Amino acid sequence: MFRFLRRNAAGYVFLSPWLVGFVFLALGPILASLYMSFTRYDMVSPPVWDGLGNYQYMFEHDRRFWKALQVTFTFVAFSVPLRLAMALGVAMLLDKGLRTIGLYRAIFYLPSLLGASIAIALLWREMFGVDGVVNGALAMIGIEGRGWITDPDTSLYTIVILAMWQFGSPMLIFLAGLRGIPRDLYEAAEIDGTSKWRQFWRITLPMLAPVVFFNLVLQTIEAFKTFTSAFIISNGTGAPADSLLFYTVYLFNEAFKFFRMGYASALAWVLLIIIAVFTALAFATSKYWVHYENERD
Amino acid sequence: MKLTRRLFLGSMGTATAATILPAFPAFAQDRSIRHFWWGNPTRDKNTFNVIDLFQGANPGIKVSGETIGWGDYWTKMATQTAGGNMADVIQMAHTFIHEYVGRGAIKPLDEFVGNGIDLSNYDAGANDVGTIDGKLYGINIGSTTQAIPYNIRAFEDAGIDVDTLAWTTEDLAAACAAITEKSGGAMTGSEDLSLYLENFEVWVRSTGRDLYSEDGKLEMTAEDVQSYWEFWGGLRDAGFVEGKDATVILDKGMADLGITKGTTAMTFRYANQVGAVQSLMTDPVGAARVPQRPGTGNGHYVLPSMFLCMTRDVGDIDAANAYIDFWINNPEALKSLGIDRGIPPSQMGRDAIEPTLSDVDKNVVAFFGGVQDQVGPVPNATPKGAGEVRDAFMRTGTDVVLGNMPADEAAGQFIQDAESILIRANR
Repeated sequence: MFRFLRRNAAGYVFLSPWLVGFVFLALGPILASLYMSFTRYDMVSPPVWDGLGNYQYMFEHDRRFWKALQVTFTFVAFSVPLRLAMALGVAMLLDKGLRTIGLYRAIFYLPSLLGASIAIALLWREMFGVDGVVNGALAMIGIEGRGWITDPDTSLYTIVILAMWQFGSPMLIFLAGLRGIPRDLYEAAEIDGTSKWRQFWRITLPMLAPVVFFNLVLQTIEAFKTFTSAFIISNGTGAPADSLLFYTVYLFNEAFKFFRMGYASALAWVLLIIIAVFTALAFATSKYWVHYENERD
Repeated sequence: MKLTRRLFLGSMGTATAATILPAFPAFAQDRSIRHFWWGNPTRDKNTFNVIDLFQGANPGIKVSGETIGWGDYWTKMATQTAGGNMADVIQMAHTFIHEYVGRGAIKPLDEFVGNGIDLSNYDAGANDVGTIDGKLYGINIGSTTQAIPYNIRAFEDAGIDVDTLAWTTEDLAAACAAITEKSGGAMTGSEDLSLYLENFEVWVRSTGRDLYSEDGKLEMTAEDVQSYWEFWGGLRDAGFVEGKDATVILDKGMADLGITKGTTAMTFRYANQVGAVQSLMTDPVGAARVPQRPGTGNGHYVLPSMFLCMTRDVGDIDAANAYIDFWINNPEALKSLGIDRGIPPSQMGRDAIEPTLSDVDKNVVAFFGGVQDQVGPVPNATPKGAGEVRDAFMRTGTDVVLGNMPADEAAGQFIQDAESILIRANR
């Protein structure tokens, strides 16, 4: 042990800024939240041990927990494929070798920087409101608008559109991936008279599979964690009629509005497990559809 | 080699210590207190004005004021409570005071009364609501009551001649119809108040019951809720109140109210807020009582619209006492505050503000005097979980407003939800 330390001390010292941060700012709170998930804790008086009480209540009695899951899963199912498709589409347009590509890249990345902000969420609320621009535009082509955000049937999809618009980071990764595809594959295909459509399905997509996989995993995790836009657009409540009750919004309310830190911790751990399961699923299925260039089989 | 590494490690250690040390706060030189309140532009201006006056009179004490809207206030308050860094002096509402006192976050003030805080000017009973289990936790800084702010010009245009201190729900319905028809639909009579629990409370109380019983259970019934939602549903179906898209936006800011936007002639507020409504519109605003069903009792009550509280995390108690005392006894401070936080609960305070009242303030003061003979007793204390019940009321009500659920079914479901919320919050 002593020898080990002596040999590696310098390494740990170099690591220490990160290590100290990790232990005190990440690992510590994570373990504390695991403990708290088995307690009732109102943040002022000390936590009271409650065994599996929180988890039991969640699965057996909490209707809003199930509602929050339904909203979040619906959001993930729509927003992830749409955002990836959008990102890939724009990346392919930009891959045509424009001279000012740097500029376009920056322009298309911009929404991702802005999209998670409060200002954009507020803007969205105005745009899709009864007197918003969206209804104004629809009126011009003779369609009568509605309160897109105040109607529980459509409110979630306005946030899906917001998410779709923030395609910047997967787009950059797709762009890098597209650059890595050898051009001679396309040349060979051209010579054989293959259509563009077929080239996409037979060359681009398979060659890009590892990048698609990477983006899929990251974006799915990201989507499960969506918070700001839903919180702002629904005034922090998940309204109208819980149609915007994202899992994280529910968790936040339980913790900071109703003082149930223990229950909120339990919710957080369930979300962690859900995300882990989905990530594991993606990895498990990946061997059937993701192939790496230098892999031997 | 060995030596250099030691040397290196040593210097690294020093460097690490040097980066960590500044994280500890330097001890403050001056005395300072923090005051946190929820506000609106008018109120924030008044309050910062009082802070300046106080600092002028007490040069050794610095007051930092923090303000935010009502909705975010409670989130921030909860976070600060959990983090142990509540402001020294906070503004508190009667709906939340029991929750915070019950959690030990508020400091009792009895030992400071007459010994830093002078309450000798106060009306008898003015601090009853802020006294919990025999201890004084919240100092009343203004009394208020429920009110229907109405657009006086719209009422006159529609030829509505009714005593708004005695009117009934039938009169309200007739007024809504008249205003809507007179304006050709450009202005409806009122906001749809289906989701305002505070307005519903008057509806319940007019039957002699409260929202909550003395022992913290529900006292409102499914019939109360159903009849209330059906009353507003009738006006909504007739088109005499604002449409559903505006209705389902919860806890609207002052600028989003139908009356300030000019889309409706009425809304619900507490009386002290009528001045803030007026500040956002040009038509004159009056205050009417919440209309009650014919043949029912008094639903209104007078309550402290806000309290000043000292928190568990208070640093400089003497400075905080001096600040609180300044708020309630300094005539200049009282003048600056006006009636935005409610009518001062002392004759001295009312005399101080009298010459400064604007037209709308005079309406409010007259209204406040006019409803005095119709107020009932102060309601039972709100139990823990009342805030969540309020959310459930708005959520279920939204389904009724949008036509997703009939009022009777929704009322039953709400009562069921509210019961389980209270059980869970108080176990």
